[in-house]
Amino acid sequence: MFRKILIANRGEIAVRVERACREMGIRTVAVYSEVDRHALHVRYADEAYLIGPPPAGESYLVIDKVIDVAKRSSAEAIHPGYGFLAENPVFAERCEKEGIKLIGPSAHAMRTMGSKTLARKTVRAAGVPVVPGTVEPIVTEEEVFRVAGDIGFPIMLKAIAGGGGKGMRLVRGEEDLRSSLRMAKSEAKSAFSDDSVYIEKYIENPRHVEIQILGDRHGNYVHLGERECSIQRRHQKVLEESPSVVITPQVRAAMGKVAIDAGRAADYEGVGTVEFLVDKDVNFYFLEMNTRLQVEHPVTEMVTGVDIVKEQIRIAAGERLSLRQEDVKQSGHAIECRVYAEDPDQNFMPCPGLITSLRTPGGPGVRDDSGVFEGFEIPIYYDPIISKLVVWGKDRQEAVVRMKRALGEYIVTGVKTTIPFHIRVMNNQHFLEGTFDTNFIDKVFSQEEKERELPHFHVAVIAAAIQLFVDERKQAVARRPVEAGEPASLWKYASRPGLPKFR
Amino acid sequence: MNYIATIGGREIKVTVEEVGVARYLVTSDGKEHLVDAHQVQDSVWSVLYGMGSFEVDVQGRDEEYEVLIDGDCYKFSLMNEQRRALIRAGGKGAAGKALVTSPMPGKVVRLLVAEGEEVQSDQGVIVVEAMKMENELKSAITGKVKEIFVKEGEVVESGAKLLLVE
Repeated sequence: MFRKILIANRGEIAVRVERACREMGIRTVAVYSEVDRHALHVRYADEAYLIGPPPAGESYLVIDKVIDVAKRSSAEAIHPGYGFLAENPVFAERCEKEGIKLIGPSAHAMRTMGSKTLARKTVRAAGVPVVPGTVEPIVTEEEVFRVAGDIGFPIMLKAIAGGGGKGMRLVRGEEDLRSSLRMAKSEAKSAFSDDSVYIEKYIENPRHVEIQILGDRHGNYVHLGERECSIQRRHQKVLEESPSVVITPQVRAAMGKVAIDAGRAADYEGVGTVEFLVDKDVNFYFLEMNTRLQVEHPVTEMVTGVDIVKEQIRIAAGERLSLRQEDVKQSGHAIECRVYAEDPDQNFMPCPGLITSLRTPGGPGVRDDSGVFEGFEIPIYYDPIISKLVVWGKDRQEAVVRMKRALGEYIVTGVKTTIPFHIRVMNNQHFLEGTFDTNFIDKVFSQEEKERELPHFHVAVIAAAIQLFVDERKQAVARRPVEAGEPASLWKYASRPGLPKFR
Repeated sequence: MNYIATIGGREIKVTVEEVGVARYLVTSDGKEHLVDAHQVQDSVWSVLYGMGSFEVDVQGRDEEYEVLIDGDCYKFSLMNEQRRALIRAGGKGAAGKALVTSPMPGKVVRLLVAEGEEVQSDQGVIVVEAMKMENELKSAITGKVKEIFVKEGEVVESGAKLLLVE
């Protein structure tokens, strides 16, 4: 086992990894930028090294600096967390060359799964279902018509070199195919100077469900069941749960097997996540594989009792998986809410700044993976995540009410947070019933919220009026002119007989 | 003391009278309530009122209030009745001018207008970046850019004056 690990990250995930290391008796090395000197991940570490100015491109993302600290501190391994260098094959190669173990998959596996088309090709060869369509570019118009007819409308035309929605066209019927193809090609040409396109079946109102897998270098794999991640805002996950209400034990076993096949096809070592689109008939299709520890890993930990980070470190140290598939048991239900410093009532505008006061939730079944404290100033340079609030309940119903209860206890002042947003989701009828897909937040929920009547308007006005009353009185006292011979101190003023007293 | 709360064009008269330590007699919309209110944590009040115990986060700035209760955000304006009378008597005052300020600490990425340029209400005038996200800030009124207080690349605090439209 390693004696010392460098954590090339910051915030809640760096703290999460440090917690695992501390429990395993491994010394931790933190790196930090100039703006993070006070951060929790520095204070919780056994050693900490400054690696540069605040912008990530000059600190957390600079491979040379991270490697240099690893050498100076004689760390044997590097945990990259998520984001930053976590899925960078150049960094993985550099670690291999320097003889430092990267806690993650090989550069080769990262490259295979990092490319959309290569990943699709690789897993399809292993028998993993992918969204029906072509892998190779389609050249002639006749071929487009033939393939579209084979897989059936609606279809998506996508640029091979694509990304960011450019060169993508949804086609609902044959009559639109010719003009859509022309537009997709011309968009692809101008955006990527490559006009080749491929065809994919369009999955309407899909759910996003992912499977957590673990694999060791001895060829053993297990999966830890699914996470339901359909609650997204603009394609970003904001809330996750496990299990998913639509996944039956049979489907879970089938998805788990397929996810392991996908991992095996890439010789995957470590912890990874295979993402699927699930249609309304619970057909599932490979979307992509994330070759890192996921933000939402705690929900899986809560229902399986497996510490995924510890397991990840053991795998990297060359140990065999500590459990077999038949040892994995899901129990109860877990939900995670991502708490961000964003204002849900002003279009989720980021709100960096000083946390002036903080009250974190507690009680049965509550876990708060936080990276902040009262008096911490959230920097403007990084992801505005404050913490991940996770709850466990014996079933989904208990988990939902427990989450609502915990969110109500959570108070952060000084910055706006997404806590109120999550409370509103917990109250939403569709969420309670489990009837939602990836469009739910942007289309259904936001509309329903606009029409909802708020129950406590009078309390709000009364509290605000009292606040204003108190503020005005403070100002009036402060403005009171100081006459000659009159005591300036308010203490003395308050003690003088005959004057009105406020208390 | 008398106040006027305005929400969605509707005005509600509110009076506050202190009747004991942290105890207030409040009338709102003609109803009288005895309220026990303690400011317990920064902007958060613990309010005992009627049969209920509420935690209320009160954020007020320039008579505009945002109040959070149970995850719901109540937005309204609240003004001292006397003060409102004074402002009404004094005419428009600062009306016709609109100061664009930074709603968060961040960095000025781009100025979209120059001094002297005509702008429409709701037109984007400046881009401020915070936490890897660019946010376009808009002019509240139609007019001319009178003054720009910042340069591109400048780091600004929350509430910093960015530019003035007149």
